[in-house]
Amino acid sequence: MKSYSITRRLIMTVLLVELASALCVTAVAYLYERHDHFRSFDVLLRGRADSLLGSVQEAADGHDGLMLDGSEVDVDDDDLYEVRDDGNRVLGRSAHTPDLAASFHPEDDRPPMVDSDGDQASFGKLKVGDKSFRVIRVLGIRIIDPGHKDGGVRRNVTAYYAASTRPVWRAIQKAVSFYAYSSLIVLAVTGLLMAWLLNRGLAPLRELASGAARISATSWTFLPPEAARNTQELAPLVVALESVLQGLQHSFEQQRRFVGDAAHELKTNVAVLKSSLQLLSMKPRTSAEYQQGLERTLADCHRMEETVAQMLMLARIEETGAKLSSGASTDLVAYLRSVVIELETMSEAETIPIYLEGHGSLIAAIEPEQFQLLCVNLLINALQHSPAGSLVIVSIAERDGAAEIRFQDQGEGIDPADIPHVFERFSRSDPSRSRKTGGTGLGLAICKAIVDSVHGSIVIDSQINEGTTVAVRIPLSQPSEPRPATARI
Amino acid sequence: MRVLVIEDELRLAENIATALREGPGFAVDHAADGETGLHLARNLCYDLIVLDLMLPKLDGRGILKSIRARKDLTPVLVLTAVSETSSTISLLNAGADDYLSKPFDLGELLARVKALIRRGKGVAHPTLQAGDLTLNTLEQTVHLGDKAVTLSPMEYRILEYLMHRPRVIVSKQELLEHLYDYNWEHHSNVIEVHVSNLRRKIGSSSNEPGPSSPAIETLRNRGYRLLLERAVEAVSSEV
Repeated sequence: MKSYSITRRLIMTVLLVELASALCVTAVAYLYERHDHFRSFDVLLRGRADSLLGSVQEAADGHDGLMLDGSEVDVDDDDLYEVRDDGNRVLGRSAHTPDLAASFHPEDDRPPMVDSDGDQASFGKLKVGDKSFRVIRVLGIRIIDPGHKDGGVRRNVTAYYAASTRPVWRAIQKAVSFYAYSSLIVLAVTGLLMAWLLNRGLAPLRELASGAARISATSWTFLPPEAARNTQELAPLVVALESVLQGLQHSFEQQRRFVGDAAHELKTNVAVLKSSLQLLSMKPRTSAEYQQGLERTLADCHRMEETVAQMLMLARIEETGAKLSSGASTDLVAYLRSVVIELETMSEAETIPIYLEGHGSLIAAIEPEQFQLLCVNLLINALQHSPAGSLVIVSIAERDGAAEIRFQDQGEGIDPADIPHVFERFSRSDPSRSRKTGGTGLGLAICKAIVDSVHGSIVIDSQINEGTTVAVRIPLSQPSEPRPATARI
Repeated sequence: MRVLVIEDELRLAENIATALREGPGFAVDHAADGETGLHLARNLCYDLIVLDLMLPKLDGRGILKSIRARKDLTPVLVLTAVSETSSTISLLNAGADDYLSKPFDLGELLARVKALIRRGKGVAHPTLQAGDLTLNTLEQTVHLGDKAVTLSPMEYRILEYLMHRPRVIVSKQELLEHLYDYNWEHHSNVIEVHVSNLRRKIGSSSNEPGPSSPAIETLRNRGYRLLLERAVEAVSSEV
């Protein structure tokens, strides 16, 4: 993908806008200058034509003829002229001049200009060779013998005067190019200025980027530059970065701790196995001793297997937890009942009866296997920490749109100092870890992961030597009709 | 010798304890959590403490600091599952004498335990010598000159303990504390019986020319003392 630069894009945008306005200014200037110059040119032509008319005099032949007094004609070298009388006779014309009268075509769009003397002037174009000319035709009246008693003879005279338009165009071009060049200079200066200003203005962004670049998996310290925090546009980015990093760091550290704990746990398990085998081979033993040693080693292996299985289970729950949809719908009461029935043998063997207080059916979006695992874990915990002959009460009821399941035992209880840590992975205070149960210290962590995956909650309340109550809340997917029912298992 | 094993992983603790009892023949006590461990360590009757780091209630580092804060010089061998150098350094700086990372070799553990106990008592070599009496702690054999002396396990332990602390008065109480763990039924008079047997087995008659042997002197109400023969002669000449 082509890299995209905000600076470059901004500069390009501004320069394009400037270029467009410069083109507009130049065009307007061109139109204005052309109009202005041609107007003065026309005035000049008119003046020249008038003076040409003024040079028409009575011919000395006495036949009321007219003649052009060449000495009084004042024309530029390049200009052309022609004067004709009403008989279309040429009174005079400049050298090398084509027939101006024949080639004259008045411009249609402009009516002939009439001045105070009654002279009519109209303009036209002419091309001689590669030269463009502007032609003026003035229709004038000459009065011969004005002092005569009948007022003299009025004769119509037509004067054509043509001047090259090249100087005019040159002047226009000069004026327009001034505007164009000024615009280009402004454009260049603006471009450089903008590049510099944007570079300065984007400094906080760069500082932020370099601050963010220093973050790595091993170093999570992110110190956003003050400039970035005080920049209105960057402040939300800084805040977002900080919160994302915090979350990431938290989960990263959690993962790291988990990996560390898992490594510790597995190393310990391997140490047990290794030392068991080495102990066995330390000296010659009887076959009974070997037999016993092998059995114990096998039990150690089994425990290690259990630990690995539970670790994988925990990882799986946490992985699926995030993407669990409300697709599953499980009747919590029915599954809880099935778990209680499943553990009946154990309950009877330990002479700890389980009471189940259940209501009709409560449907929640939780995978049935996970719900069963949750209940089995908590119930086995309760059974294992209860003295024989005591009671375990399991109740499930709807409360505030969630199913509340309580596992209540009359066991030894948990040290209050340990309660905040019981849900931690491989927690040393996890009651499932004690010798009696040979647990892995993952049981309650798995329970918490399951409950968290459905946005529920799990709370432990315990009194030493009085008992422990675990309260689990799982949000229901639909309201249900509570039907009180009590079952004795 | 008596060793305290503080380790919450019960199977591992069992294995270490069995190995220490079967191998060098030490008395072993076990604590499954930090608090019990520290409580036992306060009795000052151990020649070595094997300490796990991750323990419930009180962690290994806390125990180590607490032990050293009381100027208790008992050698401590730390078992750790963390194999980072920084952790090792901080452990040794906190007062640990040695460490082993899990999973360790049981033979190495025993060798290190023996070496630490030896060092803790100012002895460098696994073979102890007193006069012509030689005690090999590795093979657990005793020789008087070229002649092997057969001792019962308890007699061996008493002799080993005394030879680690020559010329020092060792009370009967100290012997009891260092040679028996809490699982043992013990009475102070068993020590007397063992010592008298020991004297008979290693003592050489002074009339016969032969290897010179140290004598175990009894100091009434105070204890026992291992004396080299020259010292014994000096004592007897005074009488």
